Amino acid sequence: MAASTLLFVASILLSSFALSCYASGTFSALQKSILLTSSPKSGQVLKAGEANITVTWSFNKTYPAGTDSAYKTVKVKLCYAPISQKDRGWRKTKDELKKDRTCQHKIVKRDYKPETDSVTWTVERDIPTATYFVRAYVYNAEEKEVAYGQSTNDGKKTNLFEVEAITGRHVSLDIASVCFSVFSIVSLAGFFYLEKRKGAASQQK
Amino acid sequence: MGDTPGSSMHGVTGREPVLSFAVASPMVPTDTTAKFDLPVDSEHKAKVFKLFSLANPHMRTFHLSWISFFTCFVSTFAAAPLVPIIRDNLNLTKGDVGNAGVASVSGSIFSRLVMGAVCDLLGPRYGCAFVIMLTAPTVFCMSFVSDASGYIAVRFMIGFSLATFVTCQYWMSTMFNGKIIGTVNGTAAGWGNMGGGATQLIMPVLYSVIQNVGATPFTAWRIAFFIPGWLHVIMGILVLTLGQDLPDGNLGALQKTGNVSKDKFSKVFWYAVTNYRTWIFVLLYGYSMGVELSTDNVIAEYFFDRFDLKLQTAGIIAATFGMANLVARPFGGYASDMAARRFGMRGRLWTLWILQTLGGIFCILLGRANSLPIAVTMMIIFSVGAQAACGATFGIIPFISRRSLGIISGMTGAGGNFGSGLTQLLFFTSSSISTATGLTYMGIMIVACTMPVTLVHFPQWGSMFLPPSRDIVKGSEENYYVSEWTEEEKQKGMHQGSVKFAENSRSERGRRVASAPTPPNATPDHV
Repeated sequence: MAASTLLFVASILLSSFALSCYASGTFSALQKSILLTSSPKSGQVLKAGEANITVTWSFNKTYPAGTDSAYKTVKVKLCYAPISQKDRGWRKTKDELKKDRTCQHKIVKRDYKPETDSVTWTVERDIPTATYFVRAYVYNAEEKEVAYGQSTNDGKKTNLFEVEAITGRHVSLDIASVCFSVFSIVSLAGFFYLEKRKGAASQQK
Repeated sequence: MGDTPGSSMHGVTGREPVLSFAVASPMVPTDTTAKFDLPVDSEHKAKVFKLFSLANPHMRTFHLSWISFFTCFVSTFAAAPLVPIIRDNLNLTKGDVGNAGVASVSGSIFSRLVMGAVCDLLGPRYGCAFVIMLTAPTVFCMSFVSDASGYIAVRFMIGFSLATFVTCQYWMSTMFNGKIIGTVNGTAAGWGNMGGGATQLIMPVLYSVIQNVGATPFTAWRIAFFIPGWLHVIMGILVLTLGQDLPDGNLGALQKTGNVSKDKFSKVFWYAVTNYRTWIFVLLYGYSMGVELSTDNVIAEYFFDRFDLKLQTAGIIAATFGMANLVARPFGGYASDMAARRFGMRGRLWTLWILQTLGGIFCILLGRANSLPIAVTMMIIFSVGAQAACGATFGIIPFISRRSLGIISGMTGAGGNFGSGLTQLLFFTSSSISTATGLTYMGIMIVACTMPVTLVHFPQWGSMFLPPSRDIVKGSEENYYVSEWTEEEKQKGMHQGSVKFAENSRSERGRRVASAPTPPNATPDHV
């Protein structure tokens, strides 16, 4: 009995250690060696499902040559600006990249090229209403982040744009909703009335 | 033979099971004049709890009752596992999500109080059908919601449907004998509460099926809400067509034939609120059922955010919390009944205190767990403690009052929701307290708010630490239950139900039943 309890406790402990054995990278350790621009002007409002964003990025040549020798892939992401992170812990910025939830929407994944690359992306219909900027993360062969570039400044205050999401509502849904509601109320009232009538009729007998 | 309690040999075959699923005849005499599928007592309440039967009226009532309550739980907590999608669609802040959670349990504070009175006056069948069918439109309303205030308002209105808890418990109390009521109520309510767990599984699955058919996320979650809405309508129709209020028929018909006397609301209300035990149980239930409801609202999102799980995975884990009700709550009622056999009411009170305090301790540990396997383990033990405590609570409630049972059930149920709303407001709405810390604080509050059960004292049975009154009159069950009626009411014979109940409740003395002296003027030979 004691041995099996010990085994149980040991296996729980081991599995919890296993989760923490990956070395976690931090955002502050990344090189800001990518220059990135995005097409929306500061304060522009884009409609989800309709508007396009054009993102252009390239290696910043002011960095010494050979810095980008380990760069393998690029992921461009749509990221929340601080105002859209307020009171929303599920979008919090954390330095530890595994725990960081700033950039939740992927725009594109490409192989790294030192020359200028760009993509035109239609804002998808599941992007929520919020204020955003664009950031590109560069990964090495081990799929670990090594560099980044973003369309806003370090304080994430300039050049932010907004997305207006779809509501998700449809007229057909609204109509169906009303129909079923009316059915519910009418059938309840109907039963009640019929039973009262049956009760009154049996009283009179 | 048959003059003194316990001496009748009716129905003694030696083959009856000794569990709380059945009451053997020497303890509670069977009424052999009644023609029901199950053996019944003098009030025509079933003495046997046959789970897999649909026998009319007792077992059929059981199944209609718990499934209706289950449906309302599904719809009240349907939003919880979908919050990660809804908060993006409606641009909600943490405060909005928390307030919606408070709203979802607040509506039923009022509706449960009203439902207690409705059951006493109109019967549980109409009560159940009205609530479930009038809240169906509110569930369908989710398709219209476009911002935080709409979301909070709709969750508030859907929450009214939890009044079916009162109809469920009340209906069980009219159909099943007091010796097995703990197990029956525990099972019915527990299986109903499972809806809060089932919904965490059902809604994400419905959502992903609808998404696969082609809907975008922000539309798919709205469509998913139609399913709980349809369930409301279907159950309402079944309750109206297949259900009846009492073993002998419906309340309206029986009141007209003079078999059940109509009582005055003001009297029923007075005897409920002036009994101090009512208020202690209102508080206690706020910290067993209340924390269960709060956890139903926050746990899926907690696992999604803290441990970075997928929506469906977080839903499965959250579901195990609510689904533990399948066995945990009936276990609580069963444990209460078992303790009562040996130790009477004192056993029931101790069982309740132990289960609820254990739940609180494991809630504290859940908040402090940093790894997924430990968090899940702590959560499961917490769920068993809290839910079994709910079952044990309703093993005691039927004995607080006979006249005002409906209102007391309603007030206790309301207390559960009030506790939930208060806890969510204090610990899960502010951005400055993380959900993990909130869970720890909630656990501490559970332990503290369970202490008052030590103060509950019955003159005829005692309390956790004190013995019963030695006075022959004051220490009798009849005195306690008949004292709720005035002399004029007694002259009209309105108290006969309470007298019968007092006789049947002598089992709460535990092992001392046979040795208790029969008090004078206990049971009149004829009215």
